[in-house]
Amino acid sequence: MGKLRPGHMVEAAFWLGLCLFLYVYSFEFERDIEIYKFGATAWPRVIILLMALAAIGQLFHHYLRGDEASSQMISAAVDDGAEEAAHEAHHEGVKWYLSTFALLSIPFVYMRVPDWIAGWLGADQTGLHITRIVVAAILIAIVVYCVRHYRVRVALMLPLFFAALLEDFGFYVAAPFFIIGVMYVFGERRPAHMASIMALIYGILLLLFVSILFVGLPVGNMRPFYDIGSWVVTVLQ
Amino acid sequence: METFNNFLQGSITLFSDPINVLIFLGGVIGGMLFGAIPGVSMLTLAAILLPFTAHLTAEQGIMLFSVIYCTGVYGGAITAILFNIPGAPENAPTAFDGYPMTQNGQAGKAVGAAVICSAIGGVVSTIIMMIATAPIADWAISAFGPPEIFALVFFGLAVAASVGAKTFWKGWLSILIGLMVAVVGLDPVGGIARYDFEMPYLLAGIHFIPTILGFFAVSEIFVQAEKKVRGRYEAPELSVDFPSLAELVAHKVAVVRSIVIGFFCGILPGIGATLAAFMGYNEAVRWSKKPEEFGKGKLEGVISSETANNAATGAAMIPLLALGLPGGALTAMMVGVFQMHDMQPGPLVFLTSADLVWVVFAAMFYANASILLIGFLETKTIINLLRIPFQFLAPMILLLATVGAYAVRGLTIDVVVMFLAGVVGFFLRRSGYSVAGIVLGVILGKIGEQTFAQAMQMLHFEWSGFLDRRIALGLLIAGFLTLGGSIYGAFFKKKPSAADTSTS
Repeated sequence: MGKLRPGHMVEAAFWLGLCLFLYVYSFEFERDIEIYKFGATAWPRVIILLMALAAIGQLFHHYLRGDEASSQMISAAVDDGAEEAAHEAHHEGVKWYLSTFALLSIPFVYMRVPDWIAGWLGADQTGLHITRIVVAAILIAIVVYCVRHYRVRVALMLPLFFAALLEDFGFYVAAPFFIIGVMYVFGERRPAHMASIMALIYGILLLLFVSILFVGLPVGNMRPFYDIGSWVVTVLQ
Repeated sequence: METFNNFLQGSITLFSDPINVLIFLGGVIGGMLFGAIPGVSMLTLAAILLPFTAHLTAEQGIMLFSVIYCTGVYGGAITAILFNIPGAPENAPTAFDGYPMTQNGQAGKAVGAAVICSAIGGVVSTIIMMIATAPIADWAISAFGPPEIFALVFFGLAVAASVGAKTFWKGWLSILIGLMVAVVGLDPVGGIARYDFEMPYLLAGIHFIPTILGFFAVSEIFVQAEKKVRGRYEAPELSVDFPSLAELVAHKVAVVRSIVIGFFCGILPGIGATLAAFMGYNEAVRWSKKPEEFGKGKLEGVISSETANNAATGAAMIPLLALGLPGGALTAMMVGVFQMHDMQPGPLVFLTSADLVWVVFAAMFYANASILLIGFLETKTIINLLRIPFQFLAPMILLLATVGAYAVRGLTIDVVVMFLAGVVGFFLRRSGYSVAGIVLGVILGKIGEQTFAQAMQMLHFEWSGFLDRRIALGLLIAGFLTLGGSIYGAFFKKKPSAADTSTS
């Protein structure tokens, strides 16, 4: 086994699996182009082949050298401490990754599940909106519960969840809660500081982008959030 | 004389418009601050600003990015010296002696040396850039066709992959992932949809702005979140104590040597400024009579590294403006600015937009010169600003990135894509992959495939056609040699120890 660890084999399996998937999918667009004999598939397939070779080379490197960096000195320059931080924080191992991906699924649950429930219940537009609000509330409760125990994992998931909520709740309603959430995840615990910094950041962003640059931000598509967003825009512009 | 007149004209255009002046000053201060604040970098600022350059003219957008590039490279030295955290890869060697100087109570002198040498390196490099770029562009118009550009892309990727990640293999996997992302959407010859998974959003390809924002700005916040768990940062006390004139004169050979090294490394596509800083530092050690003093707080170490990396900034603009090829992450974003204004960087820019080129050159000259002024006047203020707690900075950066990603096309899916890219970037970075490599792959992938297709059509699908084109052949051979050398190094060379790395 040389210096191979199970993690190395998982990494190699991931890359080779990705190559296999991309190669199989390339048959979906395998068509001739009259003026170009290589067609639309040659370029991506060469990339896939090189990717597979690099993944095998990487596996062989792990077999011979384990986690040792390559001999080029410049490698040290791009070491931003991300790997070391992960190691020091014990954020490694199958269990950590599984729980992280479980938390990361929350935004996608919000994107899909309310539509399924509403479809299953045969709900109309208002029913769908209510379902979305209820599902969002349940997911927010789960996030609040998790934040004390899994700070880094919540830090990864929170922006994605915010992005998923933007379409329905709008930037103007969701942003203040997002600012407070990020501050909390990064260790701020003083309510007065959180409130004042939130007001400052929110105020600066609205002034800069809404009042000065007239950037259109999502106002949401559910009442009353849409009304609140529209009111903010009307007041500031 | 013509160069000087053009420079004067560029200066007049720059300073006669108050908006230009404001953008210039914003870029100088913003680049310096973002380069200096731990946890973010000039690339974070550039990624956030990229979508908003659509509201500026092409001239203003490129000028803003070039100014951020010059001052950001200097700003990164401050964190390298004070915290042992290089603001960018090109500041890494600065930390070898800069941080020990801080520990010895000489932080002020190290920062002072960085200020002066960054300014000198940058100004000299900009002057050479002004003289050299136009003739190179003139030559490139006749000498560079699609086969040569494809060969240069290949060479650039080979260099970038060899030095960008923890291992050679991870460097290549990073580049290849970027090339694969660039494949998504319509193919450049037949317009056939590839990897669209029947989603209309993917037909136009994955937009580079959310991708860049995600990989640079967002993944950086995630990495800091993980570091925060270990409570790493503490701002050191600093007194400003610039080196004396006699000390600087004593290091004149190191300065000149580093300018030469920096400039020639900067021209190389790939990550020239990083190579420049390391080579500048290494040569200083090699030429020194007391090499054992390096790594323990020697002023010459800071001087060599900072002169060389700023000398590379001007040189890095040459392949971008003369050939249309970005050499690093920030110049890749500049290609994005050009594209947002329906322009393509390259030799024709000198014919079609000479004004733009000379305003950018003038701005780079004054930005490098202003490092000296702001460095002397405002160092203490900047250092006080570094004490902004990261928990207040993080939501601001994430929301700016959100607005930036959304503003491009008014699609919330772009915001989702950006944060997904951030998560992917986070996992790749903590496994030793290079996000800069991915972004270079995305940008160069499109250029590479297009020029390859054009080259093959031009050469009637005869591979031997490359043999008849000397420049293309030379670049291909250089690329394969780089590749071969890296493969040899990956399998047969032992990694030097930490002590060797810092002193040899």
